[in-house]
Amino acid sequence: MNPPAPEPGPLASRREFFRRGLRAGAAIAATGGLGAWLLNRHPPGDFSRVRASDPRRDFSVRTAGPRMAVATGRSRPAMLRAALAAMGGIERYIARGDRVMLKVNAAFATPALLCATTHPELLAELVRLCHSAGAASVVVTDNPINAPESCFELSGIGPAARAAGADLFVPGPGSFRPGTLPGGRLIRDWPVLSEPFAGVTKLIGVAPVKSHDRAGASMTMKNWYGLLGGRRNQFHQDIDGIIVELAMLVKPTLVVLDGTDSMMTNGPTGGSLADLKATNTLIVATDPVAADALGATLLGRSFRDLAYLSRADGLGLGTTDFESLHPARVQAQAS
Amino acid sequence: MAACALAVLAAVLACVCIQQSRFDPAVMVAAAASPAAPSPAGLLERWPEGVSPMSGAEAFTQGTLSDKIDGKAELYLSAGFVSLKSQRVSLAGAQGTWMEILVYDMGLPSNAYSVFSSQRRPNAADAGMGDYSYEADNELCLVHGSYYVEVVCSGSSDPARRAAEALARAFIGSTAVAEHANVGAEQALFPTEGLIAGSIALVPSDVFGLDQLRNVFVARYRDGAGELTLFAARRDAPGAAAREAAELRGFFVADCGGKEAPPPPSPPGASIIEMDGAFEAVFSSGPYVAGVHQAPDRASAQRWLGVISRRIAGERP
Repeated sequence: MNPPAPEPGPLASRREFFRRGLRAGAAIAATGGLGAWLLNRHPPGDFSRVRASDPRRDFSVRTAGPRMAVATGRSRPAMLRAALAAMGGIERYIARGDRVMLKVNAAFATPALLCATTHPELLAELVRLCHSAGAASVVVTDNPINAPESCFELSGIGPAARAAGADLFVPGPGSFRPGTLPGGRLIRDWPVLSEPFAGVTKLIGVAPVKSHDRAGASMTMKNWYGLLGGRRNQFHQDIDGIIVELAMLVKPTLVVLDGTDSMMTNGPTGGSLADLKATNTLIVATDPVAADALGATLLGRSFRDLAYLSRADGLGLGTTDFESLHPARVQAQAS
Repeated sequence: MAACALAVLAAVLACVCIQQSRFDPAVMVAAAASPAAPSPAGLLERWPEGVSPMSGAEAFTQGTLSDKIDGKAELYLSAGFVSLKSQRVSLAGAQGTWMEILVYDMGLPSNAYSVFSSQRRPNAADAGMGDYSYEADNELCLVHGSYYVEVVCSGSSDPARRAAEALARAFIGSTAVAEHANVGAEQALFPTEGLIAGSIALVPSDVFGLDQLRNVFVARYRDGAGELTLFAARRDAPGAAAREAAELRGFFVADCGGKEAPPPPSPPGASIIEMDGAFEAVFSSGPYVAGVHQAPDRASAQRWLGVISRRIAGERP
């Protein structure tokens, strides 16, 4: 026999309705609050426990003013010495006791002869010159995403740095801090290389001249890409935008652009000596925009062909009118 | 009260949307931790004599390819890239000499030919192996079925070149493919007279700056003191070819600021467009869309238009 059906309960009173509504609202608010409290409390890695800070760094030597020198020849060390001498000597930029960082291009584990990375002979001479100017320390770094140790070793950069008395810094996951570039659209809460900058007082970028399938050309401005961590390949969707923001991120003491042999095609990796052309030029400048505008001519292009150069110029990050810097042009004699 | 509850829900939703709209660097770091999965086995089971691995094999996917080759990844991705395996090897008896073999699985033989031909170095010598191949100083490149293979040596000595050839042959010998690359029919569309050696290429995408124009064969020619490009692509049906010809014509005029010149007498329906001081010519014939790119003057554009249209019509002088 079936039990009797329960008596229908009384309809909720107005007061009961409000009470239930209040409980429901409180439960929702508590859930939302708990979610907000737990949000990113323990994300993978230590990275997000740190608040994004302003990652901008200015290593320029204001008293030196904008300067540029263009050396021609075949010997990278000789061209570097000649160009720096024409700019008043490295002592104008590196003072006794300075702690210098050299940001190289060590993006690929390829041999130096392919010129896809900073040439070890050029790096070694730059380290030597920094020491001769009285630098207290010189650290060499980059952030190759894939197999960084192999990149530094097989490119010859690591052995050259060590032999010349520099420290080599290979970034790890803890070397980055979240940075948000004021006025930036892309570098927002993004991992930016931080650890090796501790105590650094001067920054020199050293990059080869290369064609680049995506950016058109990879020179000193694109070289700052190695200051970014994370899944930075997504920035390739706005390569001009990220290069401009990188120029906003760092103002170096100097940049050295190596166009001894320029990678005319199939960059940025190259692979064959057939991709290279002897352009016999090395540029040293305080202004990366000017250096790259001149470097573009080594690839048979104008600064107008590289959108990031015009945009950087428009933002006052440098000048594409490199002749306005009255570059000193010198012929290097190999020693 | 109900309005309050809805307001709280809306606030929660807004918070979720705001948070989701931001990059999460923690996720970025976590994702970056293992960009290249190490391959469990070497690239080859048996290495040629004198060649020995100096590192484990690495494997890259569509998501991690740029970790290996940075800005060049776009070329491969636009051509149908599936995966990359690479490994470095050293040479016995050659102190400090090493090489890296990179094996790109491009999914289809035509895709492999596309990346092969797009990067072909001028004046490179045929290496005589695989479906297509060449040697350029320190590098050997080849197509084997759907695979595009590069062997990059740290020097360009004879022993290094011989080792690279042995390595490439070992890969070919140990890798069965279902179908080989064969673009002989397309290559035959381009006359040999005036052709710049090694310039025939299959461009995978964004041909002449038009996003949707894909898989087009191009070939560069000397024309007096200058150069121009002939192009041709076979589509599934005449209608598709005619539609693409119209799109390309419209792109040159509407998006690139070109001006239509009086149409040439032949082939029927062809257009000549003056643009930036050069001349473009476009037409379709049956399943082919074809034409001339950056001819120095109108007469040249018309002359080469005649050449390529006759080749497509099967008239081979």
